[in-house]
Amino acid sequence: MRYAALATVAVAVATCVAAPARAQDVAAPSRPSATATTTTASDSALEAQTTAVASTLRCPVCQGESIQDSPSDLARQMRIVVRDKLRAGNTPDQVKAYFVSKYGEWILLDPTMTGLNILLYVIPVLLVVGGLALVAILVRRWTAPETTTQ
Amino acid sequence: MIGLLAHNALLVSLAAVAFGAILTPVAIRTGRQEWLQLVYGAVYTNFLLVSVAAGSMVVALVTHDFSVSYVAAVGSRSTPLLFTIISLWGALEGSILFWAWVLGLYSAAVVLLHHRRPGNLVPYAVMTLLAVAAFFAILLVGPADPFLPVFPVPADGPGPNTLLQNHYLMAVHPPLLYLGYVGMSVPFAFALGAIFSNEAASNDWSILSRRWMLASWGFLSAAIIAGMWWSYGVLGWGGYWAWDPVENASFLPWLTATAYLHSVMVQERRNMLRLWTLNLCVATFVLTILGTFLTRSGILSSVHAFTTGAIGYYFLAFIAIVLVTTLTLVAGNSERIQTKGKLGGAASRETVFLLNNLFLTAVMLTVLVGTLYPLVAEAVRGVKVSVGVPFFNRMALPAMVSLLFLMGVGPALPWGSTTWADARKRLYPPGIAAVILGAIAVIAGARSIYAILAFAFVGYAAMSNLREFWIGMRARHRAHGESWPTALVRLVAGNRRRYGGYVAHIGVLLIALGITASSTFRTEREATLTPGQTLTVSGRTVRLKNLWGREEPQRSVIGATMDVVGKNGAIIGTLEPRMNYYRVSDQPVPTPDVSSSWRGDLYVNLMAFDSGGANATVKVIVEPFVTWIWFGGLVVVIGAFIGLFYSSRGTGAPALATNSASAGPTVANADP
Repeated sequence: MRYAALATVAVAVATCVAAPARAQDVAAPSRPSATATTTTASDSALEAQTTAVASTLRCPVCQGESIQDSPSDLARQMRIVVRDKLRAGNTPDQVKAYFVSKYGEWILLDPTMTGLNILLYVIPVLLVVGGLALVAILVRRWTAPETTTQ
Repeated sequence: MIGLLAHNALLVSLAAVAFGAILTPVAIRTGRQEWLQLVYGAVYTNFLLVSVAAGSMVVALVTHDFSVSYVAAVGSRSTPLLFTIISLWGALEGSILFWAWVLGLYSAAVVLLHHRRPGNLVPYAVMTLLAVAAFFAILLVGPADPFLPVFPVPADGPGPNTLLQNHYLMAVHPPLLYLGYVGMSVPFAFALGAIFSNEAASNDWSILSRRWMLASWGFLSAAIIAGMWWSYGVLGWGGYWAWDPVENASFLPWLTATAYLHSVMVQERRNMLRLWTLNLCVATFVLTILGTFLTRSGILSSVHAFTTGAIGYYFLAFIAIVLVTTLTLVAGNSERIQTKGKLGGAASRETVFLLNNLFLTAVMLTVLVGTLYPLVAEAVRGVKVSVGVPFFNRMALPAMVSLLFLMGVGPALPWGSTTWADARKRLYPPGIAAVILGAIAVIAGARSIYAILAFAFVGYAAMSNLREFWIGMRARHRAHGESWPTALVRLVAGNRRRYGGYVAHIGVLLIALGITASSTFRTEREATLTPGQTLTVSGRTVRLKNLWGREEPQRSVIGATMDVVGKNGAIIGTLEPRMNYYRVSDQPVPTPDVSSSWRGDLYVNLMAFDSGGANATVKVIVEPFVTWIWFGGLVVVIGAFIGLFYSSRGTGAPALATNSASAGPTVANADP
């Protein structure tokens, strides 16, 4: 109760951290049948999926831009490959795996959560969690009656 | 000839700064205060000499003196004058020279403004600045010498990097960046000076240094926004932030400087966080050097990364020296620096500042880890790995969104302590704005929980900060019968630091709103059009009129003239996206054209064209509220400016809190 403000922030942060995982699920629904039947709905779904995948692939000839953002020719061709592969029934992960096999792990703007890369994801979370605990301890100590310190 | 003159000026300046840095402790230890005048003379001499060198470079650039190596590398007879002058900071050696000049300027200003202050703080701070200047002077006469002679003298040069000569903002962004970056050496110098002179346990040094930090912070904020604007105008994808290593390098010291500007208030009022605040000064400085190292050594490939040889090792050595020296100093003196303060209560502004510092530090470390990780992975695993936008968005945005919320909580809570019932009374009203803005976002189609929370928190914090103005104005209006505008002016003038802070908050919120809205509601379409055909994106229609070409001295330009068509079919504007083919590069530089209004931008980029003029492929992007980012940047700068010129005698004078830890209620009353 007394630390309601801290708790509120903690909840807000937890929600934020959990959110992208859900957002990804929504952005990448599995779409098995998407051959030639060109209804606008499936077209826009395919476009959305293409955009989602293309945003995570690095343009090989640019300065760290994704192939979604880059105006270069190569990026445009790669977007077409992504779209074609998705239309042919590949899952987003399969499409990404295809590009990794061609260019190496470097092509992924979003590092996989494996091996050493896990540090990338663990360190920030530990920082925030540890930091929140530290702040809670410090506030408790610094507001405690005089006798408990020293 | 002019190269030799400048080179010798730099050699003498190295001697001057080394002399000054060594003389300072000698003068103080031996009690010869008059020798300090020599030290200050060395500072002015250094500024004069570096000015001669930088001035020589500008002259060499403008006169196309290709016997100077830097001019031969970046100059070109066909480059327009403006871009010739600004290529001073367009590549590695010139930018180091510019850095040295800005540092000379800051050092001279520090001496000019503070040399009368008694005690050893200022001399030791000056010594630190001279030591930093010595590092850059060594670079300039060694691995980054821009004045090497060239034989035989070439007839012409390649001209600056094409991306850098395509937009006038390149005349604005780098100087602002350097004024921000280099200015952060000053608080660092005061921090070390405070340790050397045994004054770290008092607040005097931070009262001196925080204005320098605030000024630098204002410059750096403006530089980051100008950099965003530049990439928006040049890179052709309608974005302004890509978590590129260069962008991260500018963002990292901004985060620690922001944390400092908040923690220093807790230090002054509560006599706590002294060690932490000092460390933030050190961290900010180290991050500026690290940022320069990352972007200038070519270690991470990026737009700004001019690959070069040995200079990276100089930077690494310097960073190592700075870290070892300061860590030793801080660790050795921590007992004396640390003071035991107490909080009045958990429901206080101080608590929020602790959280603010936590999240700012967490964002900084997250971005730092993500930026450096590719190097680690390559070294450890031998595999090249990318860390890009999706990673940074996922890992840094939660803390950033939390910070938006805290920006509303902090100003609403009083210093010292309050009851939880009072805290609720203060914290609930802005919730209305949060609900309204969040609801608008949902109705407008935002589905990402991030975006919705960001909108809600922006609403919350905006109302909370504006409410502070309202409460203060109402009090003046009632008490003195002042008119509302008078009340506002007097309110702000009476406590510039506080209200300058709130203005800066509002600027940051405008930026956050612009970023959230433009990234959430952005729509784009790409299409190949023949003349007369139209393309409609999100209710905005453009029609291709024709394609054209034009020769300019340094480039060929292919452009498309597009009419912006209004609802009734009338032409309401014209856009001319272009592709610029510079002679020195195979890659064309996209030059999008933008129609801006407060509601957002219509952004058109020419992607491809038929050489016969039969068709053009264009990308049309509609980005709502993107202009609010640039406007917000201006508001941030205004806030910093207001805060910079507060009177230290004014209300909320921080000296009040330094004497005793039990001053809680008094302090709380001092700042209603």
